[in-house]
Amino acid sequence: MIRRLAASLLLLFPGWAALAQQAAPATKLTYVGSQVCGMCHEDIGKAFASSPHEAVDKGDKHGFAGNACEACHGPGSKHVETLSAADIRNPAKIVPAELDRTCLTCHRNQPTSAGRLQASHARNAISCIACHSVHGPQALVVRKAAAMNALCESCHFDIKASFAQPFRHRVPENAMTCVDCHNPHGSFKPGLMQTAGANEPGCFNCHGDKRGPFTFEHAPVREEGCQSCHEAHGSANAKMLIRQEVMLVCLECHANLPTLPNSMPAVTGVVPPAFHDLRSPRFRNCTICHQKIHGSYVDSNLLR
Amino acid sequence: MKSLFILAILCAPAAAQQPPASAPQTAPPAAESPVPSEQTWLTGYIDLGYRWVTGVSGSFDTYRSVVDLGSGPKMLGTDFTIKDPKHRLFDAIDVRAFNWGDDPYSTFHLDAKKVKLYNFSVDYRNIAYYSNLPAFADPLMDINGVILNEQSLDTHQKMSGAHLDLWPGRWIVPYLAFDHDADTGSGIATFVSNGNEYPVSSLARNSTNNYRGGVRLELSRFHITLEEGGTTFKDDQQLNQSPGQVNYGNFFTPLLGQTLYLTGLGEAYGVRGSSIYSRGVLSANVTSWLDLYGQFLYSQPDSNVNFQEFSTGTQVLLSQVLFYTGEQSLVAAEAKLPHTSGSFGGEIRPFRRLRVLPSWMTDRMHTNGSSSTQQNLTGLENGATGSLALDSLLSSSLVTNYNQAEVRLMFDLTSKITLRGGYRYVWGNASDVVLPVSGLGSLDQGKIRRNVALAGAVWRPFEKLSLNADFEGGSSGSTYFRTSLYDYQKGRALGRYRISPSFSLSVNASVLHNHNPTPGVNYDFLAHQESASLLWSPSGGKYLTFEGSYTRSTVRSDINYLDPEFLTPETSLYVDNSHTVTALIDLKLPGVLGYKTRLTLGGSAFLSSGSNPTTFYQPTAKMAITVNKHVDWVSEWRYYGFAETFYLYQSFHAQMVTTGVRISR
Repeated sequence: MIRRLAASLLLLFPGWAALAQQAAPATKLTYVGSQVCGMCHEDIGKAFASSPHEAVDKGDKHGFAGNACEACHGPGSKHVETLSAADIRNPAKIVPAELDRTCLTCHRNQPTSAGRLQASHARNAISCIACHSVHGPQALVVRKAAAMNALCESCHFDIKASFAQPFRHRVPENAMTCVDCHNPHGSFKPGLMQTAGANEPGCFNCHGDKRGPFTFEHAPVREEGCQSCHEAHGSANAKMLIRQEVMLVCLECHANLPTLPNSMPAVTGVVPPAFHDLRSPRFRNCTICHQKIHGSYVDSNLLR
Repeated sequence: MKSLFILAILCAPAAAQQPPASAPQTAPPAAESPVPSEQTWLTGYIDLGYRWVTGVSGSFDTYRSVVDLGSGPKMLGTDFTIKDPKHRLFDAIDVRAFNWGDDPYSTFHLDAKKVKLYNFSVDYRNIAYYSNLPAFADPLMDINGVILNEQSLDTHQKMSGAHLDLWPGRWIVPYLAFDHDADTGSGIATFVSNGNEYPVSSLARNSTNNYRGGVRLELSRFHITLEEGGTTFKDDQQLNQSPGQVNYGNFFTPLLGQTLYLTGLGEAYGVRGSSIYSRGVLSANVTSWLDLYGQFLYSQPDSNVNFQEFSTGTQVLLSQVLFYTGEQSLVAAEAKLPHTSGSFGGEIRPFRRLRVLPSWMTDRMHTNGSSSTQQNLTGLENGATGSLALDSLLSSSLVTNYNQAEVRLMFDLTSKITLRGGYRYVWGNASDVVLPVSGLGSLDQGKIRRNVALAGAVWRPFEKLSLNADFEGGSSGSTYFRTSLYDYQKGRALGRYRISPSFSLSVNASVLHNHNPTPGVNYDFLAHQESASLLWSPSGGKYLTFEGSYTRSTVRSDINYLDPEFLTPETSLYVDNSHTVTALIDLKLPGVLGYKTRLTLGGSAFLSSGSNPTTFYQPTAKMAITVNKHVDWVSEWRYYGFAETFYLYQSFHAQMVTTGVRISR
C-alpha cells in the first residue's frame, strides 16, 4: 500500500495503468437503446427530445448514437431485465467525482474546463448536476440573470447577504450576474475569477479605464488585485472600500520607512512625505489629489 | 392600495427580505414565462408599467449613488421565444430585455440557434454610475471647509457583445466574438497644483473594443482550444474650467500673503491602447487513470499617451517658492505590459479511492513605461522674469513573478466520506522602479515565500444531509505588502439538510485570521461569518413559500502605521459587526372576485456597528392579480432606508410604487 502510494506521487509512473484497472464485470452488459428506455421513462424521454443532449442520440460524434441515455447511465441490459434501480447507474447518486468524470468525457473542451478538475467546486464535491439540468426540457443551464444569481445564492447565501449592503455591484438588481465575475468551472485566478484578454483580471471587462498599462502603475493593483482595497461583493463603506476612510486604506500599506539602496525591505510601500498633515481633511482623503490611484498615464505620483 | 401599504409596512421590520430585486423579472414563479404550447411560433411576455418615486428624504446625492431609480413609464421586462417550425434561418430565437425607460440598468440579450449550424448571441447593457459621496474622506469633512463634491461622477457604461459559434457539436468548432465597452459622462475631478487642489468639471470618454476568434478541437481523448484576440482602447478624459470663473480650491489661507486661485483650465488626455493576446487550453484523458490539463496565456497590451494642459490663476511652485499666473504642460508617454501565464496539472487515480492532483502555475508580467514632460510656467512673480521651463524624462518598470506548485490528495474513505489534504508552495518577487527617483516613485522590491497546508472533508451520511469543511493554513517568510496574507488560517464549513421535501436548512461558517508579526507592522486581521438559511414550501409551494437567511459577520483589523508628518506610530483599528436578514414569503391567496392573486412580502435589513455604523432597510411588497389568461396586473411597493451614524448628512429614505401589466402569450 505504501509503495503504491509513493508510486502515485510520481507523475506518469508506468505501472499505474495496471494498478488502476477495474475488475471486469462478471456479466457482459449491453446497450439497449434510448427508445427502450423511453418506453418506461416516458416523461424523461419526451423532455430529453427537446434537450441539447439529444445531439448525443442523433449524432455519431460521441459514439452513442441511439444510446444517449446509456452514455451517462451505462449499459442498461440488466436493468431492463430486472427492472431494478440497483441495476442501472444513477449519476445523481454516485460519488460526485465519478459523476464529473462522466460529464467531462464529452465536455472536456468547454472553454472553461481546464481548471475544472482542481476548481473548488470539484474539490468540494459539487458535481455538474448541482447546476446543470441534464434531461431538459429546459436549457442545460439557466440563462436569465435572475435565475443564475438565484442558483448561486442557493449555496452562497453568505455572499448574497453581502449584496444587501448599500455599496455593491448591481447583482441584486440582476443587471449583473455572479458569472460575470466568476467562472464556476474553474480559473487560474484565485476565487474562480474570470479573466479579460487571456490573463488580465476579469474586472477589466467592465472597468476598461483601469486596464492600462499605465506609464506609472500602482503596484497592488497588478500584484494583489482590486480586492486589496475594495470589497467586491458589497460594503458599508462608500466606493466599496475595505475601510471607512480612504486615508486608512492607503496608510495601512504606506507606512514603511525608506530602506537603503540594494536592501530588501520587509514589505513594499513607503511613508508619504511629511507635508501630509493628517489633521487637515485635505490630507485625510488621499484620492482628492492622488485621483489616478489605479495608475497614471502621465504622473509618477498618480496625481493626474 | 392603502391596505397593501399598511400590510407591507407592518411586515417590514420582521421581514427584511429578499434583495431589492428588480421589478418583474423576479416576479413570482407562477408568473414565469408560460410554457410554449406546441406549434406556437411566439411565446413569452412583456411587462409594462409606471413607477412613482414618492419623494426622497435626506441626501438626494446619496440616494442617487445607492439606488438611483426614477419615476416614469417603464418597460419593466420582456422574455419571449420565436420558433421557426420550418427551421429555415433559425430554429429558435430567445430575447430578454429588462428595465428600459431611463432606469439605471437596462439589459438586452438575444440568442439565436440552428442545430449543427450556428449559435449566435448578442448582449447589451447600459448601467448608470452616479457617485457623489463625501463619506469616503472623513466624517468631519463638511464642517472643515473642504468642498464636498470633489471626485463625483455621473456616467453611463454601455457594454455590448456578440458571439458566434459555427457548427456546434462537431469535432471542430470555430468561433468569433466581439465586445465593446464605453464609459461616457460628466463629473467633478480635481486639478492638483502645488499648494492647492481645485474641483473642476470632468468629461469621461473611454472605450474598449475586444475582438477574438478561435477554434475548439474536440477529439475523443484530447480537447484543445486555440484563441487569438486583440483589443483597442482609447481614453479622452477632459478637465475644464471656463475662463473668468475664480476657483479658490480647498486652501483658503493666503500663502506668503498670496491667495491661490484658478481662473481657467483645460486638460485633455489622448490615450490610445491596443493589445494582442493568445490563449491555448489543453485537456486530455490520457488513460483511464490519468487526466491532464494545461493552458498557456499571453497578452501584450500597450498604451500611447498625449496629454496637454494649460491653467491660469495664481499658483505656486513650492520647491522654489515661486508664484506664477500661467502654466502649460505637454506629456508624451508610452507603456507596454507583456504578460505570460501558464499552468499545468492533472488528476491521477492510482487506486479506486485515491486521487492525486498535482499542479503548477506561473504568472509573469513586466510593465515598462516612459514619459517626457515639458512644463512651462509664465507670469512669474517674486522678482523673477520671463518664463520657467521644467522638463523631465522618467522611466518606470513594474515586474511581478508569481509561481505556485501544489499537490492535493483526495481519498474516499467510504462512499460517504471524502478526505482531502495537500500542500502548496508559493514563491515570487516583484519590483517597482521609477527612475530618476521622483516624488513617491522610488525603488521598491518585495518577494513572497509561502508554505500552505490544505485539508478538508466531505461527509454525506445520507442523501439529504451533506457536510463540507475546508481548512487552509499558511506561513510566509516574506510578502509584498503589509496587509498581504502572512501567517494565516482560513476555514470554511457548509452544511445542508433537507429535512423533508418541503423544508430544507443550510448553515455556513467561514473564518480568516491573518497575522504579520513583523516589527512596525503588527498586523492582526480576523474576519468570520456565520449564516443560516431555510426554505419552506409546504405542499410543493401550492399556497405558501418562505425563504429566509440570517448572516452575522465580523471584521476586525488592527495594524500599525506611521503618521507622515512626525513619523509617530499610530494604530489603525477597523471593526465591523454586521447582521443581515433577508426573508421572502410568497402567498397564493384565494381568488379575489374570481381573480387569482399572489402576494409577495419580504426584503432585507442590514445593520452594522463598529467603525462605520450603518443601517440599510429594503422592504418590499408585491401583488400579482391574474386578470385573464394573457393579462396579469402587477403592483409593487419598495422602501429604501439608509442611515450612517458618523456620516449623518448622507442618510436618506425613499419609497416607490410601480404598477403595470404583464401581457403573455
